[in-house]
Amino acid sequence: MSLEILSCRNLKKQFVENQVLRGIDLQINKGESLAIIGASGSGKSTLLRCLNFLEIPSSGEVSLRGELIGSRQNGQVLYQERDLIPIRAKIGMVFQHFNLFPHMTVLQNVMEGPRTVLKLPKSEYESRAISYLEKVGIPEKRNAYPSELSGGQQQRVAIARALAMEPEIMLFDEATSALDPELVGEVLDVILKLMQEGLTCVLVTHELGFAYSAAQRVLFMHNGVVLEEGSAYDVLVEPQQPRTIEFLRGHSRFQLPSPKNSQ
Amino acid sequence: MEHVWDFQTVFASWSLLSQGLFNTLKLGLLTLITGLFFGFFVGLGRYSRSSWVNFPAGVFVEVFRNTPALVQIMWFYFAFPIISPFDIDTFAAAALGLGLNTTAFCAEIFRGGIQSIHRGQWEAGKALGMTYREQVLRIILPQAVVRMIPAFMNRVVELMKMTSLASVIAFGELMHQAKTISTYHFNPIESYTVAALLFFLVISPFAFLVYHLENRFRK
Ligand SMILES: Nc1ncnc2c1ncn2[C@@H]1O[C@H](COP(=O)(O)OP(=O)(O)OP(=O)(O)O)[C@@H](O)[C@H]1O
Ligand SMILES: [Mg+2]
Repeated sequence: MSLEILSCRNLKKQFVENQVLRGIDLQINKGESLAIIGASGSGKSTLLRCLNFLEIPSSGEVSLRGELIGSRQNGQVLYQERDLIPIRAKIGMVFQHFNLFPHMTVLQNVMEGPRTVLKLPKSEYESRAISYLEKVGIPEKRNAYPSELSGGQQQRVAIARALAMEPEIMLFDEATSALDPELVGEVLDVILKLMQEGLTCVLVTHELGFAYSAAQRVLFMHNGVVLEEGSAYDVLVEPQQPRTIEFLRGHSRFQLPSPKNSQ
Repeated sequence: MEHVWDFQTVFASWSLLSQGLFNTLKLGLLTLITGLFFGFFVGLGRYSRSSWVNFPAGVFVEVFRNTPALVQIMWFYFAFPIISPFDIDTFAAAALGLGLNTTAFCAEIFRGGIQSIHRGQWEAGKALGMTYREQVLRIILPQAVVRMIPAFMNRVVELMKMTSLASVIAFGELMHQAKTISTYHFNPIESYTVAALLFFLVISPFAFLVYHLENRFRK
């Protein structure tokens, strides 16, 4: 039996007259790893940002562990900041550009959430931060400032910062696209390890090879809707929708195995 | 006509001058502190999503930034008592005028400093589950304040110079005291020279600090 962590129903988001999400239905179960792919501007980031309420959805419903977020009033869901704050604390987010706090050391960055948000005692937030820095493989950099680190190291610190909140689910928004190619691997290795340990992960990515080998489920977005969804093999290797096929052809530099039945 | 220098009479009135210096510092520091304090909230208020907050904050800033401080001081001394039930002394009028003026300028400094921090910093704090207050205090301000320091120092320089405007309503700050001495002893050259010197001694350290900090930040 699978336990639902995060789900949304008929989720829509509009910026002024630009309809970016046109009704997304999605359910993410515990321990699942989901990759979201799609062309630039298809709404992938917006979807992630609506799931942790960095953007407020225009309509539709989002639930965490089956519980509706916000309060329903005459068929509409209303969101109040004070209800959203504890929700965000349970959802980890990793950004494309890391967004580390430049005025804090690596350790302070990772301690910040447990300290300020969870209000843990010092001994606990410090040891917790150190253990997550160990998990992402850079405990020795704890006293460095973000500007002294490589992009790959910075992103691993950002992952540790999100993990230190011990979230129910992690959202990665193109965690490797701002990195030099030779630094992508170290970050993907960390993400892969988290997935294998059973952490629930949603990642928006252009790394189709990684999506294929790491994600259990892949979702192809186009123009604010989910056009195709299924196992990594089904979506990436034997896509059904012409749009998906076209998109994947544009990414042919990623070597994917040819379909089983094509020999 | 040969001028006979007579600093003796100025120094004989030292108690008047030192009182003026004290009043100048009192007026300057008080308005600086209140301006910083209220300017912070007005500056944040301009960010508010509610137009009940950001509109009045914007009007306030524009009114006090775009009218001369001299007019503001005169207005509080001569006009304000007529339309309000309060009596107002020269210090209160000067402090109100300069305080509101400084609040408006500090609000702009805070706004500009906060605006210079990338949106991703707010979002990173928010995504951790921080409240707005925590985002401001833990993430945004510590970064923004460093960048605002040169602008604040400039404001201190401007403000200390503006305190001399209070002499028009006869508040006993340095400028007014110099005027008093000069009319009493008929020694305007010496009185105003000493006053200028005292202003310079008070203000120049801040100005040098501005150069120093600007050079440091440019690196
Ligand atoms: N805050 C915003 N205000 C207005 N429009 C926005 C905003 N955020 C996103 N959009 C618009 O929404 C659309 C989808 O953007 P989104 O960032 O979700 O796409 P994406 O799939 O993540 O693309 P990419 O692969 O380039 O990151 C774009 O047309 C973008 O211009
Ligand atoms: Mg995006």
